[in-house]
Amino acid sequence: MVDQKQLIKTAKEIVSREDVKYIVGYKQGTYGFVTSPAFAYTPEDVESFIYNPLCKKNLAVYPILEEKLPLKRGEEEDKRKIGLVVKGCDSRALVQIIQEKGLVREDLVIIGIPCKGVIDLKKIEKRFPNQTEVVDVEENDNSEYIIKIGDTVHTIPKEELLSEVCKSCEFPNPPLYDFLMGEEVEVREKEVYSGLRGLDETPIEERWAYWEKHFQNCIRCYACREACPLCYCKTCMADMLDPQWIRRSVNLSENTAWNIMRAFHLAGRCISCGECESVCPANIPLMELNKKLEKDVKEMFKYTAGLDTEEKTLFGTFNPDDPNEFIM
Amino acid sequence: MENLVIQTEKLSEWVNEIIKKNKVFAPVKETDFSNFKIVNDYSEIDLSFLLPMVPAKKILFKQTETLFLFTPGSKGEVKSKEISDEKLVIFSIRSCDAKTFSILDPVFLGDYVDPFYKKRRENSILIGLSCNKPNVNCFCTSFGDSPASRDYVDILLTDLDGKYLVEIVTERGKKFIDDYKKFFASASKEDLESKEKVEKLAIEGITRKMKLEGVSEKLGKMFEHPIWYENAMKCIGCGTCTFVCPTCHCFDMQDESTLREGARIRVWDSCMYPEYTHHASGHNPRPARMNRVRNRIYHKFSYYPTNENIVGCTGCGRCIDYCSVNIDIIDIINEVGEAKL
Amino acid sequence: MMIQEQKGEFEPNIIGFLCNWCSYAGADLAGTSRIQYPPNIRIIKVMCSGRVNPMFVVNALQQGADGVLIGGCHPGDCHYQSGNYLARRRMAVLKVLLEQLGIEPDRVKMTWVSAAEGKKFAQVIEEVTRDIKKLGPMKKIRRDNEW
Repeated sequence: MVDQKQLIKTAKEIVSREDVKYIVGYKQGTYGFVTSPAFAYTPEDVESFIYNPLCKKNLAVYPILEEKLPLKRGEEEDKRKIGLVVKGCDSRALVQIIQEKGLVREDLVIIGIPCKGVIDLKKIEKRFPNQTEVVDVEENDNSEYIIKIGDTVHTIPKEELLSEVCKSCEFPNPPLYDFLMGEEVEVREKEVYSGLRGLDETPIEERWAYWEKHFQNCIRCYACREACPLCYCKTCMADMLDPQWIRRSVNLSENTAWNIMRAFHLAGRCISCGECESVCPANIPLMELNKKLEKDVKEMFKYTAGLDTEEKTLFGTFNPDDPNEFIM
Repeated sequence: MENLVIQTEKLSEWVNEIIKKNKVFAPVKETDFSNFKIVNDYSEIDLSFLLPMVPAKKILFKQTETLFLFTPGSKGEVKSKEISDEKLVIFSIRSCDAKTFSILDPVFLGDYVDPFYKKRRENSILIGLSCNKPNVNCFCTSFGDSPASRDYVDILLTDLDGKYLVEIVTERGKKFIDDYKKFFASASKEDLESKEKVEKLAIEGITRKMKLEGVSEKLGKMFEHPIWYENAMKCIGCGTCTFVCPTCHCFDMQDESTLREGARIRVWDSCMYPEYTHHASGHNPRPARMNRVRNRIYHKFSYYPTNENIVGCTGCGRCIDYCSVNIDIIDIINEVGEAKL
Repeated sequence: MMIQEQKGEFEPNIIGFLCNWCSYAGADLAGTSRIQYPPNIRIIKVMCSGRVNPMFVVNALQQGADGVLIGGCHPGDCHYQSGNYLARRRMAVLKVLLEQLGIEPDRVKMTWVSAAEGKKFAQVIEEVTRDIKKLGPMKKIRRDNEW
């Protein structure tokens, strides 16, 4: 369990530094089980920081959302650093962005959190529906979550509420950080991602029927794109008008094209934080695509994203011995 | 007007009878949420969800609408798109979703009359369903509405355990129900009383409250207030709030064509995207997230009340439910109320 | 416009993205050598197989292609040193993705044909046409163009 006091103390030290603009962490949400990203500009702001298994949001998205607005005459750009609280996957997202030269390492101050997995909000809300009061959740040493609602304390086995992506997480410890909160945690016993189990036996027509159903629900709000720390293109292909890669009308054909495009552009880049899937209002199991690509990319090219800032990107490099069987 | 009752087991017969003559939209279960869809049989309907993911606005104001057809090229022609005259029934619409249309009417039937919306609006019967169990983020009561409100529907159903109370609200509703008289019995005094009980319980179930007093005027004075920066910092600009909002109605128009034929279409857009206000010159009047988050709030709580005399929010709480960074419109408005100028 | 189903037999539409330096020249050679091959392929010349964005493929499938062929130089022969290697990686991943979605990955074909291999080009086209014919028309993500 991450020591919240230690986190706050470190965050306070960082935010007091002159070369730091602000630090992004988590704070209590406004209702039920939600947590909210918190921006602290002063040590007093840091007081509201929390860390518990409900802090799922990938904060690595914020440095790339920084707007560079036109400066007024005489104004100077604020080049101070941004502080971030990151879990294993979030840190990998940063590594990947730095690798792609989307961010500069020196612009970030990173507080790493060895992560034991986070709770899937949809699961816990199903378990405890209509929870208005803010709830505190802790994890004990027996892999159980202790949930205090009013005066009742619920103890629930971790597996029941844990996010599916966390169950197959291979890198719970942040590969890149300046300060690490607590000891590194052990990597869970390797488990195949639930969405990929039994996939090879599924006939192709059945797979399409499955995705057809899901893609029909897509409302093309592009929340999956915006929530993804690795979707940071200045102009997304989906927004281009000339050429118009995909039409704007919402129908199965265009929705599928969009989802192929999104998944493809994350091949060899996705770090499995599961953010796209958890923000999707239509509950499209996007991680099943990402995870499949992650797995196959690893098998085919021995490539894992987000581990080394100096590595070359998957599609920016090649190996003459890459799989060749499908070439006619 | 008249109050009737229908036994729960008769409901399916009645709806199936309606389906024979009308295009019926009703909540259908998708993976683990519901959406309004055209149904061909009562068995497809799932009433267990409180609110469908996409609000009922999508039935009258479609996400993708063809405005007219054309043939490209120098000898190109423009053909108008026929507007279908079919009768629509929106079954099991909640009061917050039904209120949508009274908010959208000034937009689509105001200075410029949108023929597509108008036709569908005229042709649709709203059969409401009272909410017996509101969600966490429901706050329709803050606008003086009720989860069992009769104000915006033609016919209102209320689940009274074993039977439904059927309140006929409008003339159109009365005319509509006349065709199906055989399914109903007259409501007794007890039925009306138990509805009142159900309604009271539901109202008590709504715990969140938005304090609206004076907000509209106050917003006029706090355009540059720091709370917009504070709240917008965490916004990731995903636009989900506007897509699931029953009153957001911004759209974009585009041409789609093949070599031989094409159409101008209208699709939903979102003011939460930078492209939305991006000028051809490259200038963007709402360059930052702060401008966009502020605009969403201002549009609903300042511009709309000033121009149309109605708050552009129905209190369905979807934007709060679906926001991944907990931007909470109730909290923001309450903050506005408390903010020092 | 499109080759429609003639007398009950399905004739597929195949889009070929051929690289300027090898495959396209190979197709040229097949033509000048008067080698017969099925007329189902529509060729789009690109400067390099590395130019082929996976969205080209998806877009072709959306717009009525039943199969897509990408032709490049033999490994090591790329006019731009490595374009074909990069293309190979991309297409390998695209095929995985299509398969996961339930779209037959065999609709996307890739080949290396040099400028001297007119005969091989004809063989490849025959093979591709035969394979796509077996798969039948691609309807899953086709645009209906009904407004």
